[in-house]
Parts: sequence; structure tokens; C-alpha cells
Amino acid sequence: MLTAALTVSDSLGFGFDRAARAAGLPDIIVRFNPQPSEAVRQRIAALPDVAAYTVRQELTGIGLETADDFADNGVLEIVGPGRRGYAIVAGRDVSGRRGEVVVERGLAVAWHLKLGDTLNIEGFDTRRIVGFSESPDNVSYPLSTPRVYVSAAALGVPPGARVNLADIWLRAPANLDEVLVQARATSYGLHGLRFVTRTGVRVLLDQAAGIVIDLLVALSLIALATAAVLLAASARAEVQRRLAAIGVRRAVGASRGHLATVQGLEALFVAAPAATLGAIGGVLATYGPTSRLLVLLNEPAPGAALLPGLIAAWLGAVAIPVLAAAWPAWRAAGRPPVDLLRGAELARGRGGRTVRGAGVTGPRAGLTVLGVRLAGAKRMRLITTAATLGFSTAFVLLMLTLASALSSLETDPGALGKRYQLTADLPASAVPHVRAIPGVMAAAPRYESEAVDSFSLGETIDVVAYPGDHTTFEAPPLVSGTRLRGGGEAEVGLGLAEALGLDPSSTLAIELDNGRELRLRVAGVVSSLDHDGRIAYVPAAALLAADPSAGEDEQLAVRLKTGASAAAVSAALGTSATPATGAVGRGVPLVSVLRSILRAVAIVDGLVCLYALIQACALTVQERRRTVSVLRAFGAGSTAVGRLLAGAVIALVVPAALLGIGLERVVLGPALAHLAASYVTLSLGASGPEIAIVLAGLLVAGVVATAWVTRQATRESVIEGLRAQ
Amino acid sequence: MPVLEARGIVKALGAGRAQRRILDGVDLDVEAGEVVAVLGRSGSGKSTLLHLLGGLDHPDQGRIVLAGREITKQNPRALARTRLRHVGFVFQSFHLIEELSGEENVLLPARLPGAGRDGERRGRRLIGELGLTEIAARRPHELSGGEQQRLAIARALVNDPELVLADEPTGNLDQENGATVLALLRNLRRHAVVIVTHEPEAAGVADRLLHLSDGKLAPEGVALRESA
Repeated sequence: MLTAALTVSDSLGFGFDRAARAAGLPDIIVRFNPQPSEAVRQRIAALPDVAAYTVRQELTGIGLETADDFADNGVLEIVGPGRRGYAIVAGRDVSGRRGEVVVERGLAVAWHLKLGDTLNIEGFDTRRIVGFSESPDNVSYPLSTPRVYVSAAALGVPPGARVNLADIWLRAPANLDEVLVQARATSYGLHGLRFVTRTGVRVLLDQAAGIVIDLLVALSLIALATAAVLLAASARAEVQRRLAAIGVRRAVGASRGHLATVQGLEALFVAAPAATLGAIGGVLATYGPTSRLLVLLNEPAPGAALLPGLIAAWLGAVAIPVLAAAWPAWRAAGRPPVDLLRGAELARGRGGRTVRGAGVTGPRAGLTVLGVRLAGAKRMRLITTAATLGFSTAFVLLMLTLASALSSLETDPGALGKRYQLTADLPASAVPHVRAIPGVMAAAPRYESEAVDSFSLGETIDVVAYPGDHTTFEAPPLVSGTRLRGGGEAEVGLGLAEALGLDPSSTLAIELDNGRELRLRVAGVVSSLDHDGRIAYVPAAALLAADPSAGEDEQLAVRLKTGASAAAVSAALGTSATPATGAVGRGVPLVSVLRSILRAVAIVDGLVCLYALIQACALTVQERRRTVSVLRAFGAGSTAVGRLLAGAVIALVVPAALLGIGLERVVLGPALAHLAASYVTLSLGASGPEIAIVLAGLLVAGVVATAWVTRQATRESVIEGLRAQ
Repeated sequence: MPVLEARGIVKALGAGRAQRRILDGVDLDVEAGEVVAVLGRSGSGKSTLLHLLGGLDHPDQGRIVLAGREITKQNPRALARTRLRHVGFVFQSFHLIEELSGEENVLLPARLPGAGRDGERRGRRLIGELGLTEIAARRPHELSGGEQQRLAIARALVNDPELVLADEPTGNLDQENGATVLALLRNLRRHAVVIVTHEPEAAGVADRLLHLSDGKLAPEGVALRESA
């Protein structure tokens, strides 16, 4: 669990930094309308503190095709000499020879491309793939557009050709703000200017990976805590089991330090190979899915970089049981040897209240009830183990709930604050007709346009506009400020607000498709996952006044009455009707990978639960060998022993289930939903199906643990058990 | 027909040069209502014999027939069933379960899967007959050794077994309590009882005394003569 958690958290937490280092990511990426390269070079050369720069042409909307796949939104970068800003992760970079291309790794994985394969680039000839690249300035295909690189020299591009992109590396990145001010000042006359900084890229990527990285890192930390509790509880239980042996050694004169050392060394001999196996298992379970996610994020798998962390985790996994074994041994050795020798059996007098009329005040003491009592005899262990199981249960429950939430984000527009169920490609004049359709509550034109922030982001912003109150159709939760009221106001998504440093009463300045700028006062900030929260709700009048072409793509948003049939209304609207969709349509691969990770971590966590149950049962049997043997002497077979152990399992599982469900619903779910609040309002409280699945899982784990330990217990000689102290 | 019939029982313990035939051709018949005491020094194989007779262990050679069933041919599941219905054990250390009250301890064998239906009623009757009613609700650690052993005897009888095997039943008791326990075992009229002990007091309650020495079981008088 420890290494699984480490693999996930390290990979996702430090992936960008690793990728940026490997790629030599520039401090500033500037995009602009095509200019002669010499003019651009002169302007960059005038900037202070520039360590290096390179200029190139970036072509968008390029068709890319292989024998099996095709995309018409490819990005072709024509690279010249100098630094690249991307890393070659396989093969080599493009040379000056003709017919070579480097392909982004995400595209290669998605299209199953191999080095040496050919790729047809629209407008160019067919090229042989010589390398795979990784560039963390954007997420990769299929989350984003497919990107390929060809050599300017191979294309015969003259040195003075026009370029539209510049990568700039600074001597002192701390001076970035000053350089940006200078760059804006010297860029007078350039159109379509967009600056992207390394910090900005990180913000974008953090948002692209978004909520899920935050959640997984948080989950990993929880997993680390769970692993630590379990290891400590297990080691402590082992010392409890050996109290008699410690007592004997103490009686013959062994010192406390010697006993603690011996106990620690014994734990070391068990913990070292176990930790090794566990570490390998944890990495194997999570490395694959995590690497697939990193491919989508254009970040490298941690590889050897994970080793220090794994070694530290291994040391921790060994140190915790060693210390956990040595410490109670040290404490135990401080007690009188006579007490220790007695301690091999349950301490007499403790918890020994008189049972008045057995069968009257308590449940009929059958085997199952006896099992419950045997498990309850070691209260601290029962509490510790039940707490560990409960924590693990809560963790699994949270992952299932999260997976369910991801699905609902994908499929349920309501989860994103969308209140309309249908859109129709109809003009605004059709609104009265649509409203008259039975089952329709409201209908209004919905305008959606893409824009960019004028200053720092090259990424697009979704601009959504309604003629009236947009909350009738879309009401993402308000985080701060108020809903937009006047014609000069806007509501912005939290992702956008964080990226641009916006808050209520600040000014949103966006550049529309036609090059016109729209300035609006930010009335409020809303929580939205749509477009990673980079969304702005503006009045339709303001949008259409600034960019009349936005009205060309108008649709009608149709909100249905409660209980109305979407199918019936769709039929009435005709072929123009389309169901409203969730947010992650193009993020389906991401969701799929995330589910794999959640599943892998859940499996590891489930195994932890199973181990804890088996360990607790085995310890109960080990300590109560004589009780089990007495029962067997009186004719108890494996069924009877199974019932006894089932009682011990019930004593653990029932409180663990209650604790787990309560913990998830009251603490973890709300806490993680709060983390996600930057993007969306999620309900991460477990519901019936998830709880049923987890309870079924606990039941299965309990049955497996019972069966396993019963098998072990009934193999032992009855006579040996009767002789046990 | 005897309740218990053992013929040619051989059992070796240890391995290699340390191996020793602790039982070497033991024969034993015990009738219903008969109390047989097996005497012998510590380590002579008394407990081993008792374990074999009760189906807790398998002999290396020989056959044991208990209540008409040859238990030496039974698998573990069948042996457990035989012990449940036909054998009751009384141990030197009582082996009462600390988490259960006296009554719950007595009734536990009757609540095992496969036990007869009348066990619980019989157990409560036994508690009354053995004078344990006042202490039945208490936990074992609240009771004297004698009281615990009387509860253990009630537990051994709860499924009405044909054979009761008592392993040093007075070993942890003072003289007075030991006498009480032996008297209880003496009065089990319908059951065959085998007591293994190294305490001569047990001889006083036995119908037959046997001595186990050098792996051989012989009537006490014969053994004494041979020793002399």
C-alpha cells in the first residue's frame, strides 16, 4: 500500500517538474500572428536576461493520417536549430534529412505507432517516424490536439521565413515578471500575441489533470497513514503474542534492551522480505495505470526517480514494525516476569464482570458469540484492527464514490450545474414554438464562443451567453460575489479566476474570435468543471455587440419540466435536438485511466483489509489455541471452528463497516468534495450501491479470512493445542 | 459388549535414536458403568493412552473400538463426530473458557453442530445435580479449583457420552476437592470411565486398577508383583 500510494502520489505530484526538466521547457512561450523571423529575433534579442531563444512556425488544423487513424486537428511544428522545448523519449530528434517526423508520445500510444512507421501529414509528404516526444506545455492527444514536429531544414524553409512561435529561456527565471513587462512593451504592432509562461503552463496542467490529481494525492496520503497504522498494529500484536517468551527470558536475566533488540531483529527478519515483496507488488499494481495517465499529461513516468522514494518507503515499512516490535517489548520487559508469564493467557480479573444468568443478559453463548468474545478480549487490538479496517473501508468507499462521480460528470449534465436537458439547432425566433411543446419548462437561445485572455494565457476560454437569466439553464454553484445582473458584468469559472487572478469586482478582458476585446466587470466566481473551470458567463447583448458572428452558432437550450420525457420532446423538436452532455467528453481516456488507478489502489487496499482480517483471526487462534483445542476435543469440527472464527471476524467487520461508512460520509467525502470545489460541486458521500458493494467486499473478505484461518487451525494437533500455555 | 475395546495399541514418540515405544501392545476393555484407573509414573504414557482412546491421536498399530465404531479407521471429520457424541473429557487444568460463564462452559459441547437435542436440558440438570447452580453464572476465574473441575465434569457429561476420559482430574486440587471430584466420577453409573493418574487416591474409587509401565498395561497387583 505504501509503495502503491508513493507511486501514484510521486508520479502525479512531481510529474510536471520532471517533464519540464527533461524537456528543457522554456520560461516563456510566445504565440503571435506570423512574422518574419528576423523581426522576431530582433525583438527578443532586445529583451533583458534572455539566456536562449528559438523561433518556429506552428501550423494548426493539419490533417494527420496513418493506415488506421486520422485526425484533422493536428498541430505541426516546424523546428529550426537551437533548443527544442520538448524531450525525446524514444528514438531521436528530427535531423535535416527529408521525410522524418517526431510524434508526440500520447499520439503514438493512442494510435499504436512504432518507430519507423509512416505518418501522412496533410499538405506534406508521408514521413517516417524517427522519435517520440514529450512536451509538458500541454496535455497530449487525445485530451488535446495531436502534435508532430518536422525539421525546417528538411522542408527547405528559408532562414527569413515567417514564424508564429518563440520559446524563450531566461538566465534568472525569478525575473520573469520584469521580462514579460518588457516583452509586452517591445511587442507593439504584433497581433494575436499570447504569452504562456512556465508557471502558467503548470497552472493549466494542474487544471487539466484537475481535481483528480488533487484527489489522488490526498487519497495516497490517507493510504500512507493506513499502511502505517496496520504495520504498527500487526507488530504490536506479535509482541502481545510473545509475552510469555519475553517473561521467560526476563526471568533468566535478560536485560530490557537485549529483549527489545531481539524483538526488533526478529521483526526485521520478517519485515525486510515482506516489505520487499510488498513494495514490488505495490509498484506493479499502480505503475502501469499511472504511467498511462502520465502519457496523457505529457509527463514522463518517474522511472528511476521513484527509487529514492521507494527505498525510503521500504525503510519506513521495515522501520515501523521493527520499532513497533521493539517498543512494546521494551515496555513489556519492564513488567515483573511473573506478570508476563501470566500474560500469555488473558489477564485474569480484567473485564471479568460476573455474568448474571447467562443467556438472560447477553446473547446465547454459541460459537459465534464466543468468537466475538474472544476477539473482544484483546480490546486494544480489536480497536486498532477495526480502526484500520474501517479506514480502509472508508478509503475503498471513497474511491467507488469518486468513480461514480466521474461517471456522472461524464454523462450527467446536471452534475455540472446544467439545468437544460436538450439543445436544438434552431433560431431564437423558434423559442415561442419550443416553449409550447408539452413537457418544456423553458427555452432560450444559448450562445457559445471561444476567446482568449489578452495577457497571459494562450489557452482558450469558453464564453457562454444567454439573453436573460442564465441560471434558468445553467447554474454552477456561486463561490464568491453575486450572479451577473447588468450588461457589463460576467461570472467566471474558478479555474479561470485562479489562472488570471480574478475576483469579484475585477475586470475580465478577453479577446474574441474577431479580434475585438470585451471587457466586463466580474460579478461572481462560479464553481464549474466545464472546460476545467475556464469559462465565463456573459450577457448575450454584450457578446453579440462585440462579436456578431457569435450569433451564427446559436442554439436553443431547452429545459424540461420535472418528469417530462426527453425522448418525447426530442421527437417534437425533430432532428435538431441533442441531449446535453457532461464535461469530459474529450476526457474519456483520462477518466478511463483514472478508473484503472482507482481500481488498482482499491485492490491493494482490499488486500490490506483481507490481510488485516486474516492476521487478526490468526492471532486470536494462536493465542487461544487451547480454547480451540478444547472445542475440538469435545467434537468441534471445521464447521464449528469456522463459526467461532466467524464471530471473531464479525467483531472486527461490523464496527469497521460502521466506522468506514461514517468516516467516508462525514469526513473524507466532504473533505475531498471541498478539495474539488475549485472545479465543481461534487457529492462524494457514499450512496446505497457503493455501500452495498463495500459491505459485500467486507463479507467476502471475512469469509475468506474465516475459511483460511479455520483451515490452518484445524490442521494443528488437538493434543498440542491442549498443552499450549 | 464393552464400551471401549483396545487391542495391541502401539505408539512411539520421538524420532531417530530418541524414538521410544511409549505404548507397546496395550490391550484394554472398559464396560459401561465401570471405572478404570490407570496408574503410572509421570511420562509413562498415561496421557498418550487417554488421547488414543478418545480419538485425539492415532496409534501406530492396533485397533480401538468405541461404542461399536472402530475409531482407528475414522477420518478426522468422523473422529470429531465420535468425540462429540460418545466421549467426554475431563482435564487436569479444567480448560474452562474464560470468556464464558460456568453454565455457558457446561452447555458449549451441546451447542456444537451435530450435538444431540437434549444436551442443553441435560446440562442444566447436571448443574443442579452437581450443586453448581449458585456458581453457574460466574466466570471461571471467580471459582475455586474444585468448582471449576465440577463444571468440567458437567461439561464432559452434557452430551451423555458412553465414555468419560479423565486426565489427572485431581492434579490441581486440594485433598478435599480431589475427593469430591473422584466421588463424582465414581457415581457415573451409566458411563464407562477411564481415569489416568499418578495419585494412589484414585484407586479408591476405581473398579479396576491398571498400571502402565514400560509401555505395557497390567493389572495393578500384577504390576506390583513384577516390580517386586
